[in-house]
Amino acid sequence: METSLALEHAGRTSDANFEALLELHRPRVLRFILASVRNRETAENLTQDCLLRAYKARGRFRGEAAFATWLMSIAANVVRSHESRGRLKFWRRALRPVAGAAEERGPAADWFPGREMSPEEIALAKEQVAAVWRAAAHLPERQRTVFLLRFVEDMELLDISAVTGMKEGTVKTHLFRALKSVRSALGERQ
Amino acid sequence: MNHLSFEQISECLMGGAAPEQAAAHARDCGACRAELERLETALQRFRSSVRQWSAAPEARQTTYRLARGNAAAAGLVSALLHAGVVGSLFVLGSLKPVQSLVKDQIVSLIAPDLSAFKPTPQKAQGGGGGGARELLDASKGRVPKIAPRQFTPPRVDPVEAHLLIEPTIVADLPLPAIQANNYGDPLSKLGMASNGIGSGGGIGNGKGGGVGSGNGPGFGPGSGGGFGGAAYRIGGGVSAPVPIYQPEPEYSEEARKAKWQGTVVLALVVDEMGRAVRIQVTKSLGLGLDQKAVEAVEKWRFKPGMKDGKPVPVIASIEVNFRLL
Repeated sequence: METSLALEHAGRTSDANFEALLELHRPRVLRFILASVRNRETAENLTQDCLLRAYKARGRFRGEAAFATWLMSIAANVVRSHESRGRLKFWRRALRPVAGAAEERGPAADWFPGREMSPEEIALAKEQVAAVWRAAAHLPERQRTVFLLRFVEDMELLDISAVTGMKEGTVKTHLFRALKSVRSALGERQ
Repeated sequence: MNHLSFEQISECLMGGAAPEQAAAHARDCGACRAELERLETALQRFRSSVRQWSAAPEARQTTYRLARGNAAAAGLVSALLHAGVVGSLFVLGSLKPVQSLVKDQIVSLIAPDLSAFKPTPQKAQGGGGGGARELLDASKGRVPKIAPRQFTPPRVDPVEAHLLIEPTIVADLPLPAIQANNYGDPLSKLGMASNGIGSGGGIGNGKGGGVGSGNGPGFGPGSGGGFGGAAYRIGGGVSAPVPIYQPEPEYSEEARKAKWQGTVVLALVVDEMGRAVRIQVTKSLGLGLDQKAVEAVEKWRFKPGMKDGKPVPVIASIEVNFRLL
């Protein structure tokens, strides 16, 4: 919240400040987009796209919401328009990374930071991560966005509704459905 | 009390205003708490690995593969595409305007003039001659067989020997061919059998083992191997002879006194044995130096020129320098 406050006071007149602010939020945007599109290069491109859009629209930022929320809503829009761009689908399929196992598990599983765990635990954790990842990858766009915002970005339900422009109840419904898929992917209660 | 429904668990996970009742149950019931924790852990791990991934500085090297798909369908599409392209070419060619456009264009092919680069067939020169210092001119007869190297010069009269080598001459086709029982000069007159007035074996009035009026083992006037048999020229598969022993020429007394210097150019043939034969002075220097040069070169020994791996006589030209020190 401090960043947005700083912006409200100084940033609207100073482009340099705005840029610094964007740079500050860049990892977060990248993380969200990366989790959404699951391709590093695409994610970097889209992040750049998103930041550029934000920069162009900096005059329209009214400071009603937190800056992060505003930026994330742009990111969500970017992801959505990327998904709906049909002409990219072929290439996305064509250029899907190779390696069956890694792909099935999802790339994020390889990045699981398990330093102080035993190999079995790491393997188990990786399986879990892969399951969640698979489930998230197969979620519909809205559910996935909501799911990622809640469980990767740790955003509050109210913020999510601000980002997605949905009502809180709708967000909850999407989140519930997403969780159901993820839970079934993880296996039922023993 | 029943366990928590999934809706309630989800509520707890979502972190919204979880019902008090559900939260209380989760605290008490071990099974429900375990389930909640299990999901929470999984989500937690998912979050951390996604964060780790996005925080990785570099995009990891990924190999890409082509779209997975149906090979048969791909083949069909490919065939259709090719057929379409070829078909469109035909359709294009059958159009009137295209045809009229193409008809007017005449591409004239120009044969480049290669005459300057074509090898000129070298005519074998030279000839042969022979004789046995007899009183009569050589008598008429057939020409002996042609061979690349002469071992036995032909004779008109048969030779008695235990081991006969068929006489040959070094020549090239065509030779005047006549029917006769004995060897002889086909261009000569009929008469008494004679080997001719020449010398060095052979038939005719020349020198050397050939037939005719020239020198050498060939046929006809001229020198060298007769119709063929002439010394080869360097190049075209004939390697140059290399001198292996070349004593310096002496200075003649007159030339030394006159402080006469210069170069004598000799034309000669290096035979198969590596000797310099048929030495001629093409550029004279005078004052006895020509003679000295010839004397010196006569002592030279060469590695003979080779053709097809065999030594052959080769025409060579040698410059002999006379310098007073």
